[in-house]
Amino acid sequence: MTAQHERKAAAPGSGRESAVSPGPHAASPRRDKRREGLAWLGLLPFFLFVFAFMILPAASIFTGSFQDAEGHFTFRNIVNLFKPNILGSYLITVKVSATTAALGGVLGFLIAYAISLGGLPKPLRSFMSTFSGVASNFAGVPLAFAFIATLGRMGFLTVFIKTFFGFDLYEHGFSLYGFWGLSLTYTYFQIPLMILIILPALDGMRKEWREASENLGASAFQYWVRVGIPVLLPSLLAAFILLFGNAFGAYATAYALTGGIIDLVPILIGAQIRGNVLHDANLGYALALGMVVIMTASIVLYTWLQKISSKWVKA
Amino acid sequence: MKKRAGLSWLWFAIGIVYFFLPLVATFLFSLRGKKGVLSFVAYEHVFADPLFLKSFGFSLEMAILTVLVGLALIVPTAIWAHLKVPKARAVIEFFALLPFVIPPIILAFGLIRSYSSGPFSLVTSPVLLVAGYVIIAFPYIYRSVDAGLRAMDLRGLTEAAQSLGASWGTLLFRIVLPNLRTALLSAVFLTLAIVIGELTLAVLLAWPAFGPYMALMGRNLAYEPAALAILSFAMTWGAIALIQLLTRSGKDKEKGASLGSGAH
Amino acid sequence: MHKRLLFVLMIAAIMFTGCQKKAGVAGIPGGVTATTNMQALIDAAKKEGQLTVIALPHNWVNYGELIAGFQAKYGIKINELNPDGSSAEELEAIKANKDNKGPQAPDVIDVGLKFGPEAVASGLVTPYKVTTWDSIPDSVKDKDGYWYGDYYGALAFEVNTDIIKNVPRDWADLLKPEYKGKFALAGDPRISNQAFLTVLAASLANGGTVDNLTPGLEYFAKMNKAGNLVPLIAVTGTVASGETPITIEWDYNALANRDTLAGNPNVEVVIPATGVVAGVYIQAISAYAPHPNAARLWMEYLYSDEGQLLWLKGYGHPARFNDMASRGVIPADLAAKLPPSSAYANAVFPTLEQQTAAGKAVAENWDKIVGANIQKK
Repeated sequence: MTAQHERKAAAPGSGRESAVSPGPHAASPRRDKRREGLAWLGLLPFFLFVFAFMILPAASIFTGSFQDAEGHFTFRNIVNLFKPNILGSYLITVKVSATTAALGGVLGFLIAYAISLGGLPKPLRSFMSTFSGVASNFAGVPLAFAFIATLGRMGFLTVFIKTFFGFDLYEHGFSLYGFWGLSLTYTYFQIPLMILIILPALDGMRKEWREASENLGASAFQYWVRVGIPVLLPSLLAAFILLFGNAFGAYATAYALTGGIIDLVPILIGAQIRGNVLHDANLGYALALGMVVIMTASIVLYTWLQKISSKWVKA
Repeated sequence: MKKRAGLSWLWFAIGIVYFFLPLVATFLFSLRGKKGVLSFVAYEHVFADPLFLKSFGFSLEMAILTVLVGLALIVPTAIWAHLKVPKARAVIEFFALLPFVIPPIILAFGLIRSYSSGPFSLVTSPVLLVAGYVIIAFPYIYRSVDAGLRAMDLRGLTEAAQSLGASWGTLLFRIVLPNLRTALLSAVFLTLAIVIGELTLAVLLAWPAFGPYMALMGRNLAYEPAALAILSFAMTWGAIALIQLLTRSGKDKEKGASLGSGAH
Repeated sequence: MHKRLLFVLMIAAIMFTGCQKKAGVAGIPGGVTATTNMQALIDAAKKEGQLTVIALPHNWVNYGELIAGFQAKYGIKINELNPDGSSAEELEAIKANKDNKGPQAPDVIDVGLKFGPEAVASGLVTPYKVTTWDSIPDSVKDKDGYWYGDYYGALAFEVNTDIIKNVPRDWADLLKPEYKGKFALAGDPRISNQAFLTVLAASLANGGTVDNLTPGLEYFAKMNKAGNLVPLIAVTGTVASGETPITIEWDYNALANRDTLAGNPNVEVVIPATGVVAGVYIQAISAYAPHPNAARLWMEYLYSDEGQLLWLKGYGHPARFNDMASRGVIPADLAAKLPPSSAYANAVFPTLEQQTAAGKAVAENWDKIVGANIQKK
């Protein structure tokens, strides 16, 4: 099996592959279509489940975005989404999600590489992968508090640096309670998620490819640009969008850490649905609908990027 | 080769420092339960509470159920899609990202509204909770399995196996799944961690899970929540490590056919 | 023809019996006024077997003892939902569980004053006047019995005295440079009752009125600029760790926290000299309660002398305080544990309308006036 064959097989679905089956292929398009139709049937349990337990329940609540508190139909909630402060919230939520997806993606990739292909002893890999399993979901209040206990004004690290180096982080403008502090905290669960997602892809990288390229005189850099990244690109993109989505919907960590000073959309939703002051649940549902729209747009962008990258791989 | 190992140690070390500092800080704070001395009294309080192990046990049970249902649903679907209906993958991926933007509170209210009365009354059964958890975990499960499937030459393996006369069963259990081991384990770990810590669904569907228990403790206590955070981290890690161990000894015995993938 | 008639009759019969079930509960006379037959109520409640409550943390005005007491006295199990929930969540829970008779549907709610009329307008609560109805002050109850005040408290400073040696006594003190990075609100003012009423209280202390919150917002803008305001939500853990050694909470919560921490660290609770705001919470029975009789029995229990004194034990002033004091049923040692009544002399009780308007003002202007700088980081 040549490297080229691997790359072709690993490329995301371009739709040109036909169903694998022994025996002669049908010549007539109608039989192909029917075969394809039956093939979709195999996905039925999945789609039924998703419909029953996600689409239906969510839709029944999302209809609330088009209603007011008494249940009458209205577009007011959707119109309110375009107020500048709400648009600003969407923007900053996207910013935080993209930043932490990038940070988590890069650092997670480097660590995943280190433990899989980087020549480190085997036990370190299971240590890091099991640890990542737990850390990927260490979020919310415990995580916020852990960071407060580390880098807050009275945090263990802050005090340590002040005592031993005489350098007061907070006097010099650092604050855990802002965009970068929040991003740093989010990255704590983004990195492990990246590690777990990209490990299978890294496992699929053959040592032979690296050896072959070295034999042919290519440098590490050339290897990565010509072979490594192209092969990994689909998985990297997929991981990025997962990390993005992971941060996009996060609520508890942000609320516990910034007290709502940073206006992320999940916090706004919380303020409308559970908050005691404003409490316009229908606006909350509309805000959530807005998030679905943005996520859909991101997915479209991602699918397009996947298509382009697969062309690059084939080239 | 050597240079690469050096850099690898660097990244690994950075990772370790970044991950463990907050845990150390939390641990140190949890030892301040008694004034002036370092003591484990906060931990004693946690263990003395019968609800602690009960809620953790409940969540662990739910987690295992979610893993089983989730894998049973998604792995065959992903394999089928990769093999037979590649166009469907885009559709599945779209659905696999939706749970991120449906706030858990909306999912919970929706599930209650749809299944609290009529022919499908499920509110009194944990089925609804597990179903909700599967939906929440499904992006992570699908992404792991998908990454694993992309990394292996599924088509080539299938063709080769079938030309050698293998049945679908043999193909699935002795060829595809062993090659998906890393991906499956990732999916299991992620799901376990998600379900054990999950809060909103458990609260709104009124189940005595671990997430609500931790939130309750965190309301008015100072040192016990930190002890709880450390304990839950350790216990979840233990559960995951155990799974890793068990699957390893199982796999070593079975030399599944891995046609030159050499990935491990 | 006949088949269709039969069908219609069948439907009518089903609907009729369905209606019957809702109208009267087995044997209890009248839904609104208190039953004169306590025993019948107790029996009916016991038959229902369970009571579902929501958002009642055990150390919020000593609900722990009330719940345990009720269970012990009547043998009716109490199913506790979402102890961390906000008042808004309680209303949402009723709404979401309208058709659900399962354990996720709350029977009774305990919410902030301004949620009373909202609950009535949305048809979420059903009226009931307890036996001791007349001794509840008129100003804190709905005349038709849809909701009724249960306890109140005033906003107080909660100070970690292991870290703060010089305890602030009033709002102006909190602006002093010695408290740099030491104060945080106990909630997001756009979300939490406690937090936005804190802004209201600050406003009163700085020349504003209940209807004009700008001085309060400007006060916090000043505090933020001086670096005294930590943009974090203060909880017991952060007060204890010293990250937010000063915060402002309902006095009953602050006192309960002081007791829980038991000297590790030491906490002092101070009612500010000026700008004292008191808040009332109210009880109501859900219109969709799966266990309506248990709900009524719970109300009778809460508004009996026994129940009211348990609230007092949790440092909350029960609604029937004046009535009970005049009858001399309040034990002296219990009364002594509360802050001195002189501290409450100037307490302002914002009305519903004032609270709603104030809430809107804070929610809309908080970012503009206070949060503007912080977001940049």
